[in-house]
Amino acid sequence: MSPDGSSPVSPAGPPPAAGGSVTGAPAPAAGGPVTGAPGTGAARVGPAIFVRLKLRLIAGNLRGDTTRLLGFIFTMLAAIVVASFGFLAMAALRLAPADVAADVAIVTFTAVLVGWAIVPLLAFGLDDTLDPSRLALLPLRTGQLAAGMFASSVTGVWPLATLIAVTGAIVGLADGVGGVLLGVVAVLLQFALCIVTSRLITTSLSGVLRTRRGRDVLAISAILVVVAAQLPNLLLNRGIGGDPLAVLHGLASALRWTPPGMAAHAITDGGVLALAELAALALLVVVLGRLWIAALSRALVTTDASTEGASVRNSRGLLARVLPDGQLAAVATKELKYARRDPRGRVGWFAAIAVTGIMAFSLNGQEGGTPGPALAIGPACIGALMISLQSCNSFGIDGRSLWMNSMAYGTARDWRTDLAGRHLAVATIAVPALTVLSVIAGLLAGNVGWAFPAMISSWGVLGVGLGVGAVTSVLLPYTVPERLNAFTGAAPGQGGIAFAASFGAMIGTALLTLPVVLPELLGFGWAGVLALPYGILISWGGRRLAGNLGFTRYPEILGAISRPA
Amino acid sequence: MTGIADAVRTQGLFKRFGQQVAVGGVDLVVPRGSFAGLVGPNGAGKTTTLSMVTGLLRPDAGIIHIDGADVWRDPVAVKARIGVLPEGLRLFERLSGRELLSYNGQLRGIPMREVERRAEELLRVMDLADSADKLVVDYSTGMRKKIGLAAALLHNPKVLFLDEPFEGVDPVSANTLVEVLRRYTASGSTVVFSSHVMDLVERLCDWVSVMNRGQIVAQGPLEEVRGGRSLNEAFLGLVGAPANGNGEEGLSWLGATSA
Repeated sequence: MSPDGSSPVSPAGPPPAAGGSVTGAPAPAAGGPVTGAPGTGAARVGPAIFVRLKLRLIAGNLRGDTTRLLGFIFTMLAAIVVASFGFLAMAALRLAPADVAADVAIVTFTAVLVGWAIVPLLAFGLDDTLDPSRLALLPLRTGQLAAGMFASSVTGVWPLATLIAVTGAIVGLADGVGGVLLGVVAVLLQFALCIVTSRLITTSLSGVLRTRRGRDVLAISAILVVVAAQLPNLLLNRGIGGDPLAVLHGLASALRWTPPGMAAHAITDGGVLALAELAALALLVVVLGRLWIAALSRALVTTDASTEGASVRNSRGLLARVLPDGQLAAVATKELKYARRDPRGRVGWFAAIAVTGIMAFSLNGQEGGTPGPALAIGPACIGALMISLQSCNSFGIDGRSLWMNSMAYGTARDWRTDLAGRHLAVATIAVPALTVLSVIAGLLAGNVGWAFPAMISSWGVLGVGLGVGAVTSVLLPYTVPERLNAFTGAAPGQGGIAFAASFGAMIGTALLTLPVVLPELLGFGWAGVLALPYGILISWGGRRLAGNLGFTRYPEILGAISRPA
Repeated sequence: MTGIADAVRTQGLFKRFGQQVAVGGVDLVVPRGSFAGLVGPNGAGKTTTLSMVTGLLRPDAGIIHIDGADVWRDPVAVKARIGVLPEGLRLFERLSGRELLSYNGQLRGIPMREVERRAEELLRVMDLADSADKLVVDYSTGMRKKIGLAAALLHNPKVLFLDEPFEGVDPVSANTLVEVLRRYTASGSTVVFSSHVMDLVERLCDWVSVMNRGQIVAQGPLEEVRGGRSLNEAFLGLVGAPANGNGEEGLSWLGATSA
């Protein structure tokens, strides 16, 4: 009568990861007392249950997925390296002169705090315990929730690594028993400050982060942070800072009275001033904690702020008016709209142009290079390569919606036209951008005349890159997650394919451009004349090959770009 | 009936994902001009079958004919004839509803002027005229299903495949969808949709295929399949569900006075 255990009508989802075993009677789960308290309405739940929830989430996330397990092992190893290296480096400060050691500690402590403030924000959604709205239905008071979330925030690989690394400062800086005691307090306060600050920021922004617009803005800011992180590096390279010790001292004296600066100073000082600093720090942690609790209770009753969608202008672009009606125009105009409207499109373009700008700037900054047209041609071609690399997974951003195209395409020619439309859209933005870049590179290199060969060659490189990218797009497609963060560019498990696709496209493009770019860089400028026709030829050939391949394996492409991310 | 009279006919359709056989030898038949329901519990293989029939997923084995044309051998003929509303409904989110329709029309080579005319009418009939210039990403579930159906109908297909078209749709939007589909089948076209809302299937369909565990367990005209019972009863019998629940002895605490 009754079918076997897996009756299709009974909900056969994964077993709930509940704490205790579910027997007939409502037995309290082991560890945390979860007995219902009907009088008060709130369950008596200690922080321990949140710690276990967090551990279970980590474990559950790894179950049955080898790539995630490998990723976790890699993260563990990275954290161990950071923890031990950080600890040893901080401890080694004992060998440095006292004032230098103090300066380094101040700067490091501040950097750690800034890291804690920013990184969880960019990775929002990676950790289920971070979003308080998921806990909103549990009968918990805000205080309990705060304690629990604090406990679960502390549980994890990176908090532990941070704590260990920061503890090194006690070894490196503290003097005498009093110093060590104060050092322990200072380190714990610094750690609590990091956690509470990061909680406060994610919680107060969690409402915003759940809206589409909020995430769009965040996706853009993620790339800004990555680029901004390059700035000090660049400045140091350009020798603007001069003496590194002087820079360090200047930075440290500026940060001396910031909270992490006070924590670091308290360890070195070890006296009455240290006590005062620690008291101030403790007060700050309490205040931030209070603010966090307030933000938490507000976040719990605020609904997902749904964005009242604004209308878009219903106009046909210039390209659509010029092109004949059909597939080519449809795909090209759609791609241009996506470059503007999809944060992933904007991030891609912004990153390509910013990286090129930084490269052009630093190439010219180097001393001892022989001035010549190569100084203009080099950056322009690198720019073209960077831009064309965006197309090494052309269908990725479309993702599952590509079904609409594949339902309409019945021949290899249709797929070729589709790719041509995408290339046309890229070229519409890239050709003017590369022209401007070539002029700038020419100016920086000291001869505007060099802009012309730079421009022609970069267009050629773009063509080659697009042709190679078309082939990698059909051979090595991968899912681009909708929620971009600064750390992943592909869906879980597809990191290897993503790497192979972009690396393959880069190597392939570089090798294929050698026949025209190499003679140019060696001084045979006339070879540049060939660059443009050569690029057009390669992009045509790439589209032809990719169109045929794409037509035969589009169900597989569709599968590869619609993986859950 | 011969094969040529059928809108859809598959033979031995088979698909395996790793160890799991999702579809194990399905012979789906849908006569021309019918309003057909493909029903089955979650995980029965409905979505996998529809994906293979519409050419979005490659089958491991089996033959699929739509209006007499082989899906995998003659894609041009088949693709011009079918319209699809796939599962999960991933659309081009950053286009407006109107742009999505023109994009789809242009891909299919319909002249722009004609696309605009049809899109305008579809938007009006679907009650989407006010939101036509909003991005699809900001649409509600009901609006998404309606714009998806509009996109599937734009090129006037002969056979329409809809995967769970009514899931998560409010009654007003559902009514619009039903009205449009009724008009569409009245003109002699075929609709195949998957669902597990039996009442709806019973109300709309004249042909039913019941799937369970990757197999067709019953197929034919609605009256024949339900055999005098309600479709829901017939369905529960076919998929082998226990008639009267099985939780009588458990759950004694549920509804008791104290926690």
